[in-house]
Amino acid sequence: MLVTGIKSKPVYAPLRADTRGRFHLMLGVGEGEAPLLRVLREMQSQAPQTLGATRVLLAPGPHGPPGSSAPLAPATGSPAAAGSTPDPSQSLCVFAELPIQELRSFSDVPSLLAELRSSLEGALMGTRLYVAGPESFIGLAMKIALEFNLNKDEVRAEQVGTLARRVYCVHCRATTENVRTNIVRCLECDRWLLVRDHYSRRLAAYMGLMVDAEVPGELPPIQEVFV
Amino acid sequence: MSEEQTLAVEVSAVEQITPLIKHFTLSPVGGGNLPAFSGGSHIVVVMRGDARDGEARRGDGRRGSTRVHRNPYSLLSSPHRLDAYEIGVRRMEESRGGSHFMHDQVEVGTRLEIAHPVNLFALDKIARKHVLIAGGIGITPFLAQLEDLHPGRVPYELHYTVRSPEHAAFLPRLREREGERVRMYYDSEGHAIDYDGLLSNQPLGTHVYVCGPAGLITHVAEKARRWGWPDSHVHWEQFSAPPVGDPFDVFLARSNLHVHVPPDQSLMESIEAAGVEVPYLCRGGVCGFCQTQVLAVEGEIVHNDHFLSDSERAKYIMPCVSRARCKSLVLDL
Repeated sequence: MLVTGIKSKPVYAPLRADTRGRFHLMLGVGEGEAPLLRVLREMQSQAPQTLGATRVLLAPGPHGPPGSSAPLAPATGSPAAAGSTPDPSQSLCVFAELPIQELRSFSDVPSLLAELRSSLEGALMGTRLYVAGPESFIGLAMKIALEFNLNKDEVRAEQVGTLARRVYCVHCRATTENVRTNIVRCLECDRWLLVRDHYSRRLAAYMGLMVDAEVPGELPPIQEVFV
Repeated sequence: MSEEQTLAVEVSAVEQITPLIKHFTLSPVGGGNLPAFSGGSHIVVVMRGDARDGEARRGDGRRGSTRVHRNPYSLLSSPHRLDAYEIGVRRMEESRGGSHFMHDQVEVGTRLEIAHPVNLFALDKIARKHVLIAGGIGITPFLAQLEDLHPGRVPYELHYTVRSPEHAAFLPRLREREGERVRMYYDSEGHAIDYDGLLSNQPLGTHVYVCGPAGLITHVAEKARRWGWPDSHVHWEQFSAPPVGDPFDVFLARSNLHVHVPPDQSLMESIEAAGVEVPYLCRGGVCGFCQTQVLAVEGEIVHNDHFLSDSERAKYIMPCVSRARCKSLVLDL
């Protein structure tokens, strides 16, 4: 039932610095901090002057840093808290030691994405975007990058953290967040959906198709597969 | 591309519009419409006869010498008008015959064969801004592309550089459509495009397109790279004329045929003259369609294309523009 080898499924690779770029915008969520630090160190040794044109935007992951419970999903109506909330995590100190142009920490993913959008609105050709974090965060960032016509040679992404998916119900068009199982109930129309590898960059979601259309209620085993 | 797939057209208008450029209008033989195309497309014009002998093939079917030229030309007419195609042909000083044929022997009433339009220079459909840079005859693909651009939608700029005002082909047409949006640069008056200013300050999602002399294209591509532009946002088109070179011999392994390539004939033309068809789209070293595997070479291949990567050059050749300086060459044809 599950088709493998679907071309639209995103493929990620370890982040590398692209020192041909003039401006570097880096987004890290949760464990995404580590790959960004690695790239920054690479830049520091290869082309230290690029650090002065590098901005780093961070937000906690779905489980958040200790003592936080920031949701990954952009909850509708949540105020995009223009938040440079200082994060006490140790890694921030490591970032702060690098001579980068700007380091900002956001309380949640939606406010980080809002900053991404306004940054891209004013950005010039020559900008490179680096994204590191859970897959669904990468998808949301890539969706915004796509709106600004950023191509594959301008955006790089490394997946670290959860593979939990955003699933688009092809029947009612609602998107269910944080899906870890091969089959999930659509939060809007209650249909049981098979989560496919078929991915939409425009929607930043995997396609979910009704799985029990022929015999309602007859479901294959539900397994946690996207962890 | 086999000859069965060509279109028969008749020259319905010819106008000398600059000292070096002629403007041709090609109408379908028997009326009707020509195939649809998108802005940036080119056609390949098949010219039979030898321009230097003064022999041409006219509509009456009289054949001149067997020398055949196939040259690519950008369509400059509106993609919304299909009753005729328009092309602009610059007379090349070091012509192997093609542009001289068009200039000296083609007149109203001449029948020509053309290949179907192919687009290797299309505008990016989701660009947020277009910057068009034309040098001389390189204005032609932009004339067609402009028909699909509207200032109220996606912003665009057109920069057009020519030697002197008398060489500014199609400027009245551009002015009529674009008004002062066309930025003119005349070498004769010391104008120069400020490439650094132009490429350092464009919003994200801008695409730059260049068509013109090789020097202009190289310059823009280098500047763009310097200002951090990724390759996917830099587009250019230049059809290389097949350069002349030393004569050489080639063996076509699959056809079991020896072919001699004289100095002023391209490898592709020589193979075609021997009766073997090589698939092509552009005949100018850009499309990659004629990529041919080199089975053996004793000597060196002279790559003149803009398509193959350095690593591919060890194994492949583009017969439309590339040659060899060799004792022997074996191709998979």
